[in-house]
Amino acid sequence: MIVFLATLTTSCDKKLEFEPRQNIDATTALESSSDIRSAVIGAYSIMGGGALYGTNLNILPELLGSDNYVRWAGTFQSYRQVANRAMLPNNADITRTWIQAYAAINNVNNVLENLDKVTDVAEKSTYEGESLWVRGIMHFELVRLYALPYDSATPGANTQLGIPISVTAVKAEETAAVKGKRNTVEEVYNQVLADLTAAISKLPEDNGARADIYTALAFRSRVYLAMGRYADALADANTIIDNPRFRLSATLESVFSNKRTSEALFEIEQNDQNNAGTSNDGLTTFYASLVGIGRADLRVNAAFQALYPANDARGKDLIYTGVGARPGNLYTGKWKTFGQNIPVIRLAEMYLTRAECNFRLGSSVGNTPLADVNVIRTRSGAAPLLAVTLNNILLERELELAFEGSRIHDLRRTKRSTGAFAYNSPELVFPIPEREIRANTELVQNPGYL
Amino acid sequence: MKKILLSILGLLLSYSLTFAQSTTVNGKVTAVSDGLPLPGVSVSVKGNPAVGTLTDAQGLFKLNVSANATTLVFKYIGYRQKEVPVSTSMMDVQMDEEQKQLSEVVVVGYGTQIKQDLTGSISGVKAKDIANLPLPTFETALQGRAAGVFINSGSGKLGQAINIRIRGISSVSASNQPLFVIDGQPVISQSLGSSTEPDNPLSSIAPEDILSIDVLKDASAAAIYGSRAANGVILVTTKSGIQGRTQVSVGYYTGFSQPTRKQEFLNAAQYKELFGEAASNMGYDAAEEFEAESGTTDWNENYDTNWADKAFQDGAISQYSVSMNGGDSKTRFLVNGGYSDQKGIIAGNKLNRANGRINLDHSVVKNLKIGLNLSLNKTVNYRVASDNAFTNPLQLNAIPSIQAFIDPATGSLNRSTFYYNNLIDLVEATNESKQFRSLSNAFLDWDIIPSLKFRSEFGFDIVQLEEEQFNGRETLDGAPSGYAFNNQVRASSYNTNNVLTYTKVFDKHNIELLGGVSFQEARTFSTSSTGQGFPSDKFTKIASAAIISAGNSTETGFSFLSYFSRANYKFNNRYLLSGSVRVDGSSRFGSDNRYGVFPAVSAGWIVSQENFLKESTAISFLKLRASYGTTGNSEIGNFASRTLYGASPYADQSGIVFSQLGRPDLSWEKTNQLDIGLDFGLFNDRISMELDYFNKQTSDLLLNLPLPATNGFTVITKNLGSLENKGFEASLNTQNLVGDFKWSTSFNISTYKNKLTNLNGSTIDGGGRQLGRISEGEPYGYFYGPKYAGVNRENGNAQYYEEDGSIVDQDDFSGYSQKVGDPNPEFIGGFGNKFSFKNFDLDVQTQFVYGNDLYNIAGFFQSVNGDYFDNQTVDQLKRWQKPGDITNVPQARLYEGNGAIKSSRWVQDGSYFRVKNVVLGYNLPKSFISRAKIQNARIFAAAQNLFTFTDYSGYDPEVNATYTGNVNLGHDFYTPPQARTITFGINMGF
Repeated sequence: MIVFLATLTTSCDKKLEFEPRQNIDATTALESSSDIRSAVIGAYSIMGGGALYGTNLNILPELLGSDNYVRWAGTFQSYRQVANRAMLPNNADITRTWIQAYAAINNVNNVLENLDKVTDVAEKSTYEGESLWVRGIMHFELVRLYALPYDSATPGANTQLGIPISVTAVKAEETAAVKGKRNTVEEVYNQVLADLTAAISKLPEDNGARADIYTALAFRSRVYLAMGRYADALADANTIIDNPRFRLSATLESVFSNKRTSEALFEIEQNDQNNAGTSNDGLTTFYASLVGIGRADLRVNAAFQALYPANDARGKDLIYTGVGARPGNLYTGKWKTFGQNIPVIRLAEMYLTRAECNFRLGSSVGNTPLADVNVIRTRSGAAPLLAVTLNNILLERELELAFEGSRIHDLRRTKRSTGAFAYNSPELVFPIPEREIRANTELVQNPGYL
Repeated sequence: MKKILLSILGLLLSYSLTFAQSTTVNGKVTAVSDGLPLPGVSVSVKGNPAVGTLTDAQGLFKLNVSANATTLVFKYIGYRQKEVPVSTSMMDVQMDEEQKQLSEVVVVGYGTQIKQDLTGSISGVKAKDIANLPLPTFETALQGRAAGVFINSGSGKLGQAINIRIRGISSVSASNQPLFVIDGQPVISQSLGSSTEPDNPLSSIAPEDILSIDVLKDASAAAIYGSRAANGVILVTTKSGIQGRTQVSVGYYTGFSQPTRKQEFLNAAQYKELFGEAASNMGYDAAEEFEAESGTTDWNENYDTNWADKAFQDGAISQYSVSMNGGDSKTRFLVNGGYSDQKGIIAGNKLNRANGRINLDHSVVKNLKIGLNLSLNKTVNYRVASDNAFTNPLQLNAIPSIQAFIDPATGSLNRSTFYYNNLIDLVEATNESKQFRSLSNAFLDWDIIPSLKFRSEFGFDIVQLEEEQFNGRETLDGAPSGYAFNNQVRASSYNTNNVLTYTKVFDKHNIELLGGVSFQEARTFSTSSTGQGFPSDKFTKIASAAIISAGNSTETGFSFLSYFSRANYKFNNRYLLSGSVRVDGSSRFGSDNRYGVFPAVSAGWIVSQENFLKESTAISFLKLRASYGTTGNSEIGNFASRTLYGASPYADQSGIVFSQLGRPDLSWEKTNQLDIGLDFGLFNDRISMELDYFNKQTSDLLLNLPLPATNGFTVITKNLGSLENKGFEASLNTQNLVGDFKWSTSFNISTYKNKLTNLNGSTIDGGGRQLGRISEGEPYGYFYGPKYAGVNRENGNAQYYEEDGSIVDQDDFSGYSQKVGDPNPEFIGGFGNKFSFKNFDLDVQTQFVYGNDLYNIAGFFQSVNGDYFDNQTVDQLKRWQKPGDITNVPQARLYEGNGAIKSSRWVQDGSYFRVKNVVLGYNLPKSFISRAKIQNARIFAAAQNLFTFTDYSGYDPEVNATYTGNVNLGHDFYTPPQARTITFGINMGF
């Protein structure tokens, strides 16, 4: 009974301290090198989620350019809207991609703010480089989807509205409530280039499964290409191709069935336990029609398959007739298992970028456009071309990079239309998510949306 | 609580004085009702209360009285006071049960009070009201019996969480369930399991252990529980030992149950008629389409299966209980044991409970008592799938009636049905939820001096939940190689209360002062694993799985440190004043707001004690009372105030990401409540009534404030919103007939008007097919969506209302949404009648809910004029067929979605009146049973949910598809109905 009395007096404030066990308080989360490392990896995990490279940064650009290419047969209304180019501002997928991209950005902004916790100089440089790279590519992905395209005809004067640039670490309500304005497309591209360029100077030669200097170069090449800065895009692509570490895989199929091949410049790592999803999310979920695997929601048009030359493994083997859900239709063979890695940028693209830039500039840095295109073709068993035009190169790019998330971006940067939609049609631009407009009165909605 | 008062009385009376010239009086006190002896009755000399004693266990007393004593006064709680002339012969005193409730003892926070002195609003039930009822869980005993308490069992599944709302709905994002306190300790009442439909840890509490349930409703009563009392507090007191001869009683009842209602679906001929027409209207061949969609040629066969009926089984219930109770002046004990076996009405649903309890108390010395209540329960629940799962048996009603139940090719369950034949799960899958619970507490009562008492309590509540699920390889969820899931949850809570109470009576002043401190700490641990790939269905443990596909362990917890005090003052037996304050600190509150203060004041005026009413023969009691105070809601989540990082793996690397943005000043939600009440009794309390008006203003509602996602976070939870609940409660008790034939009536009715007054401009939508919405200026969860306008008489198109009130065909409809219903009732209540004549008694308790709307989401599939091949409700036969037809059911058009959009088409009035409980009992005559050494024996028949009257066309109007979330009240989605249970039983006392 004395115990009862004792508890009366010993009860004190300390009893009210209760720490969460599955989470840790933000004030103690970033204290050491390994904490910072975890936060960097955390950004990759966000990017690997379904909202970003795990699903949407592939499927949304594909569906935006779906004409004569791919058909959405699924039940998810948000993807159907994109395929129909009739997006509503409350579209769940358009909303989550926006949110998660900025979540990844804030994760690395907090890393950048806490770099002083890292003592090892090389480690510190790596984390800084990775963070800048994440920030750069996330801004790049968003500005390509949520704003009118960068017009290479008016470099430096792309004053159309882009997206808000986020470069400050947020961890409290005061800063989280700040209502940022949309920067211009030009400003966003400048920020992207600044981040990627800084990242290239900080990243190591080889960083295992994570981004290294070549990853950042590859992305910067993509950014330059989108801006029409062909010489710069060419230089970066060429640097990568020249590095003996990178070689095309024997077959294109093996790039997708193996992890981190010599062709990979950046892959989202997945395994059977941790992946973007197996029933309602994930590339394999939406693309595949195999026994027990996939919803078979994205169906390849027969007309698109017909574009591949005879004996081209890309059309013959990498497009198959479904045997699972919605059987009997054509599906891409790039996405067949739930745990496979997702190549986001790979060497073949660098060859095609080099070919296109050389062609446009009339140069043959590294190799001739014809040779570069034929490297890609012959790998898959397509007959080599005897001569190339710009259209040949662009078509080759479509064929090689099909179902990898570059469809609409390549169409728009080259000012080609898709179906009835001109490259700069407002219908091809995502709305700023409704929840965002409500939360931030400073944001101006894109044309054509309420 | 009776015993505490008795011991106080005993103390007061124990020093009986003896006089020189005295005589000894002997006698026995028995109850009029059943002739049983009454132990512990206070016997005193009129005019000289110091001379007195208590009856012993046999009801016997012996008292030395002075020669001039003429009259003895007999007092016993719950019985009418009796005066009997002193007699030298053996006195035979029969006491009548008090019909008026004013002298009842009511359990209040950390103490008890006599009902007539209450200034707060409390309602409740006693053990005798609920004895032998086949209650699914004990809380349902309050349904229809306690004014202001709205209970919706949600579904007829056993062991499911039920919705209890006291005086409306006072939160949007925090819990709306009341605080449960059993024998002084807050207990684990929130769902612990992993199912999308919450389980109910309270289902392990045996109703037969309960002495009383008291519901603290207003601030005056509840504020002593501070930050946890905004949704009201339910105080449960268990029975305890009574001094006297050891009494043994055994009870048994058994019975059967069926669904209260079933819904009617098309038979094969009707099915072919409707779908044949639906197909041909669209230019299809029905047989071809059916084959394409189902992969069978059943359209051309001649099967006729009532699939809807296959969802049900004949329910059964048996309960066995034994109780022993007794003790001497030093030690009292109660031992209860019971076993109850329920087979639910839904295929595969079972719940059994084994329970044991020992309540002991011991007087160490005259002024020091210790006690221990120990209980141990085990509940095994064979659960039914969530409403929205294909494996929910009720979803069988979607299977076309033209499909065979037994596959003629195999002779076993048809596996080629349109939707999964989930009866396969009954054979090849298990879903078991076992709960072990020990709810125990120890206490010490120390009367330091007669006016100053100290009570210390230490309680421990442990719930161990084990969920085990196995699905064979040919079940829907087990394909292709078997699936097993195991989840272990341990929730524990310990609680200490230390309370000092000072009572003093001087002149016309009664004072009670109370002060105390309380501490609670609770933790929940869980571990789960999932395995896939079993050699065969004979292997069911995860040890045999080829792939351990998921594993998890988590821990969470919270603590409360509280200081409280209360003062009650009564002057001249007519003016009452009470005030209380509680200071609550909790780990849940932000570091800048750790402690909250929750005061309440109340006053009462017993007008009938005033001279101008004292002589009134009509008005026997009249009291006015009012209270005002603040309570809180701390069910805001354990760590809502924190800014947190969580782990986020990237393939095989571990990373961290922000998981939450918090505010260090996040606190409880606050409710200020005004209550004005009037209690009166007429004609010697033959008629008594309580009226209450309440106004609950809740502020600091936790809401998610949307943030620009561009800064990395989408929401922050803040104390932002406000809402109100206002309402009236009335309860009336009358003694219509007294004498041999007794008839008493109880009636209660209550209302609440709920309104969201500030949501910071936001609205919360129920999402998907649901209609629920939370929006400023509207009641919680009102229905919002397109309004159905019936059928265009010319072309059979579904029609809807546009904003300007015009009616347009579906093709031209803009999608305009408006308010189309309200799931909140206009009033609820109960009406009960008790009759007794000689050895017979009859108790009929009814319950009603009026003015609420229900929305049957399943209408999208089952009442949609043959839009797809789901079997349809029979009312769909009234479809439009030719120009000029006037009907509410559009033309049948296969695949066309004619009238299939979300709308008020499936909103209906959910009012109902239900004969909730009927108990008919017969006490076997003493003469008959005494030969068998039986003290009393009673046989009875009881019924639960005997009749239901409603216009709702679904299964049962008492429905709440919990999987749809908090916003969506009154939604029905293949939700199983309640059970109508009839039982027969016997109780015997030895």
